[in-house]
Amino acid sequence: MTFKHRQLDNGLTIIGEIHPQAQTAAMGFFARTGSRDETPEISGVSHFLEHMLFKGTDGLNWQQVNEAFDGIGAKFNAFTGEENTVYYAAVLSEFLPEVAKLWSQLMRPSLREEDFNIEKNVILQEIAMYKDMPQFDVLDQARALHFGSHPCGNSTLGTEQTIGDLKVGQMREYFDRRYASNNLVAAACGNFDFDHFCELIASICGSWKPAVAERPLSFYEGTRQKKHIQKDTLARHHICMISPMVSMQDPRRFAASLLGMIIGDDSGSRYFWSLVDPAIAEAASMQAETMDGVGAMYSYICCEPAASGKVADIIRGIFMDLSKNGIQGNELKAAKNKVLSALTIKSEQPMGRLFGLGFNWVYSRQYRTLAEDIEAVRAVTVADINHLISEFHPGDFSCLSMGPQTQETPLF
Amino acid sequence: MILLGEPMADVESASFYFLLPAGNAFYPEGCSGAGEVILDWLLRGAGQRNSRCLIESLDELGIHRNCAVTAENLSLSASLESANLLAALDIYADILTAPLLEDDQFEPSRQLALHELAALDDDPQHKVRLLVTEQYYPRPYNRPAEGKQGDLEGLTADCCRRIIQQQFDWSQCIFSVAGKYDFSSVCSLLEKRFAHLSGTGVRRPTAGQRGQQYTHLANEGAQVHIGLMTAVPTIQDAHYYDIMGAVSILSGGMSSRLFTEVREKRGLCYTVGARYQSLKDHAAISCYTGTTPDQAQQTLEVTVEQFRRLREGFSEDELHRAKIGLKSTLIMQSESSAARAAGIAGDHYYLGRVRTLSEIRQKIETISSSSLLAFLNANPFNEFTVATIGPKPIQL
Repeated sequence: MTFKHRQLDNGLTIIGEIHPQAQTAAMGFFARTGSRDETPEISGVSHFLEHMLFKGTDGLNWQQVNEAFDGIGAKFNAFTGEENTVYYAAVLSEFLPEVAKLWSQLMRPSLREEDFNIEKNVILQEIAMYKDMPQFDVLDQARALHFGSHPCGNSTLGTEQTIGDLKVGQMREYFDRRYASNNLVAAACGNFDFDHFCELIASICGSWKPAVAERPLSFYEGTRQKKHIQKDTLARHHICMISPMVSMQDPRRFAASLLGMIIGDDSGSRYFWSLVDPAIAEAASMQAETMDGVGAMYSYICCEPAASGKVADIIRGIFMDLSKNGIQGNELKAAKNKVLSALTIKSEQPMGRLFGLGFNWVYSRQYRTLAEDIEAVRAVTVADINHLISEFHPGDFSCLSMGPQTQETPLF
Repeated sequence: MILLGEPMADVESASFYFLLPAGNAFYPEGCSGAGEVILDWLLRGAGQRNSRCLIESLDELGIHRNCAVTAENLSLSASLESANLLAALDIYADILTAPLLEDDQFEPSRQLALHELAALDDDPQHKVRLLVTEQYYPRPYNRPAEGKQGDLEGLTADCCRRIIQQQFDWSQCIFSVAGKYDFSSVCSLLEKRFAHLSGTGVRRPTAGQRGQQYTHLANEGAQVHIGLMTAVPTIQDAHYYDIMGAVSILSGGMSSRLFTEVREKRGLCYTVGARYQSLKDHAAISCYTGTTPDQAQQTLEVTVEQFRRLREGFSEDELHRAKIGLKSTLIMQSESSAARAAGIAGDHYYLGRVRTLSEIRQKIETISSSSLLAFLNANPFNEFTVATIGPKPIQL
């Protein structure tokens, strides 16, 4: 695998990782914008805008866009988070130029009002869908509770109210600021000609203008608030706990990810042995989410309502033990083996490399080979993880729970 | 026991797949859900390893494991770095042939299955798929893998041990491996661990009656969740690739009929999609969509209309997109050892042989307007089994 990089005069970055043996290729545009870059009155606009890009340009309507992707057998989609909006596709290698051309065109959408009004219904349907999925709802509300006034607590979907009130003019204004050429990265992986790829991107995107697309960064410890929401319609108790952790730019992110696995992987972790194996909870997971200048550990537990008190006692015990005794060498060894084999397997397909390639550049202006990532995981020591535990106190968290019962005494 | 292997160039991983015809349909009446319990119980100690030691050994090898139960089969599969393959297979041989099945480990397995069943009430999208499947397939092939509460409550360790003894028929077990491996080493290891085991003469149960055409479950959620199934021939049928073409035109991508008509033109839903699913003797196109209650009736009608209108014709462009979508999926799967291991085991189970990728590719090429229309005229999608979960029922 070789890495290639070029920057256009307008600031748009193009990166590529060449896999000479691959039959397929993957490419994507990474827009450094998401819900944390929104103000309250346009809450949900990043995600709504992501949908609107598929509605086409002045030269392509939505049907032509969909037909163009399907006509080359592309497996394509997009997602919006707190700080990135990513558009991607996997194709057979021969179709990479076509899909790159298509995405480049779509990055300058028409944002037609009639399309905006129809798509608004789809967004409202999506909001309704997530209301019926408490495992997502609890995470969304816990994030808001933990981050308080920090913008990482902003909802990605927005609300029925903000989406209902949103005007196409507000979206266009947001687009002009956030989809400026210097706030975009085009990335590709697979068997392809990088120079040709760059020429193609430059021919479409080269005339775009840069703009000031700032994002104030600040580390945030979290509110450590606790809240319970009673919902009669729920059958189970859903608990989300969030504590602070290092950011994506911090080299300790590899240790953070291993810590998440040691505490909350779905096999062989502390949560697994204490909660899932004895059938006290049917789901218990933890993972690190390292972000721009900030980071967090997220835990999700699902159990029967009557067991929530017992679950809370067990969790307290797990974190007390971690804080007192730290982790053990055999736990770290197993976590490393799982992470390393996942990295190897995922990297066998260009699509498995694309997000890592893009995000490394977006966050750190850095290319990391698979071998470097493997080495970084291998180098983590028990002491590194124990330092993270004493610095960030994962047992001192914000917590939001949802369930059919009232919670007279707080879980934590 | 059948051993299958397909090497792949340029990969460092290997994936393997054990498939046993020991799914839910094969258990005695009143034992639905036993498959889930058994899969969990098998991993709670095997050979010389107790529960903790077994999981630690698997984790130490960096194994990404999966297990599943369907109406017909139990499967245990794993992906890992190729260097650890033989060590992993040795542990899996213990899990399958020498599980400890201790009494005190049975109860947590049963409790977890009960919890997971109860948690379905908070996942109506998943639950409606189970509900429609249960009505569509004939008994006992309609049994939900998650089981029934009453059955799980009455399930005993002895009952599960009997199922393992009687239904783990090694003469009908299919093993496959794909990726980077040495086939002769794999075969000698499996020979040593499985060759002495015999068949138990498991026979497929006779198919009984089907359920009702429409089922509604009241739920005060934000959406009405709609599951539909309609009959099509099985994977062995001469029209199989035409069915795949039809599913691809209906739901293959964002230019497909369902996405265009239900979501893009009318904004009725966020999710809509259809897929083909097959047992050995019964198959269906299964479809899901979810929408707010005020639009549920229209969403169902527009969805069903897309199925029925298919035989009025489609453009050559639509067929071209459907075929290239199928080919592209196939080639992408060919880069994943896990997808290939599952694919070749499935082929052998359904067809008694493994199709090469080039054979599948060539068959996709042969789908034509006339062959697809011939299939659609013979299968006009006149009947649907429907289930809904939401605040109020809809009219069929």
